Amino acid sequence: MCGTCGCSDPMNSVTIEDAKTGERRVLREGGILKHNEHEPHHHHSDHEHSHEGDDRPHVHGPNGEIISLEAAVMSKNDAIAAQNRGWFEGRRVLALNLVSSPGAGKTSLLEYTIRNFSKDHPIAVIEGDQMTANDAERVRDAGAQAVQINTGAGCHLEADMIAEAVKSLELEAGAVLMIENVGNLVCPSMFDLGERMKIAVISVTEGEDKPLKYPHMFRASKCVLINKVDIAEAVEFDETQCRENILSVNPEAKILALSAKTGEGTAKWFEFLTELCES
Amino acid sequence: MHELGLSRSIAAIVTENSMGRQVRRVSVAVGPLACVEKRALAFCWDIVTEGGPLAGSLLEFVDAEGDVFLVKEFEFEEAA
Repeated sequence: MCGTCGCSDPMNSVTIEDAKTGERRVLREGGILKHNEHEPHHHHSDHEHSHEGDDRPHVHGPNGEIISLEAAVMSKNDAIAAQNRGWFEGRRVLALNLVSSPGAGKTSLLEYTIRNFSKDHPIAVIEGDQMTANDAERVRDAGAQAVQINTGAGCHLEADMIAEAVKSLELEAGAVLMIENVGNLVCPSMFDLGERMKIAVISVTEGEDKPLKYPHMFRASKCVLINKVDIAEAVEFDETQCRENILSVNPEAKILALSAKTGEGTAKWFEFLTELCES
Repeated sequence: MHELGLSRSIAAIVTENSMGRQVRRVSVAVGPLACVEKRALAFCWDIVTEGGPLAGSLLEFVDAEGDVFLVKEFEFEEAA
């Protein structure tokens, strides 16, 4: 089915666990064809389809005719993402979309940040994983509200899942909403969730050339955090080379090196977070 | 990556506009930075359209610039 990531197992559904009650319910049912059955079938009159500024002549006759659409494939996700963005801005909530490969240390970074960042900006977390509520539990133990979304076979979070998840969080003005995406450097780059920015996390064990191997993700992220610098020497990590590689695919990227274990470099990360909260 | 979901989105957009009539061909514009694997998309297309008015339709690709990813047009099957 899906040739690259295998996100197509028809038996899998997307589930969400409530932050307060811990109750789990189905967000999207599994099954390929079932999914389409949920789409309402509207019967439009002649010109209800979107032309998106394109007014080329096109026919609406009865037989074998061609209909010009020019409709963005991502338009549904993007429209929901735009709603989310307005929702966050209206409530002065800073939403950040954390992306990385599995094991780069997103959850550890969240735990450290929840424990040590300014209490003026309470942190809430939406956790995305294929299976288990382990990460939400870790984050709750660190003292934050958390909702776990399990995508089943899905390889990324989508905007409608975020719209649903924020309903069970209590977000006050000035709060930070950390969305920990599914560990994957490919698919999440394409899906806008309504966040202020994507923040990519790369760990020193992954090698300096990761940004060159997965350029789309590093191009889509305004900030890149180099994690686990406490063991950089042991794995002969060349930070200068890594920074050059990041800047070669994204010259505008803000790069911070830190360790979520020892706290090294996190003062600058907190400074950056505060700046974002106040802008 | 995620081509199954993208195929579903394309099928949903065409279904909304084709009013249940049989469709022969769907044309999609894909730019080099759109992160879309055309072969995987074509493979998923047959699966997501099975059993509906889009079944058996051809998914064709048009080259585009940048990160463009659009459903350009579709063609109805000629009624007998």
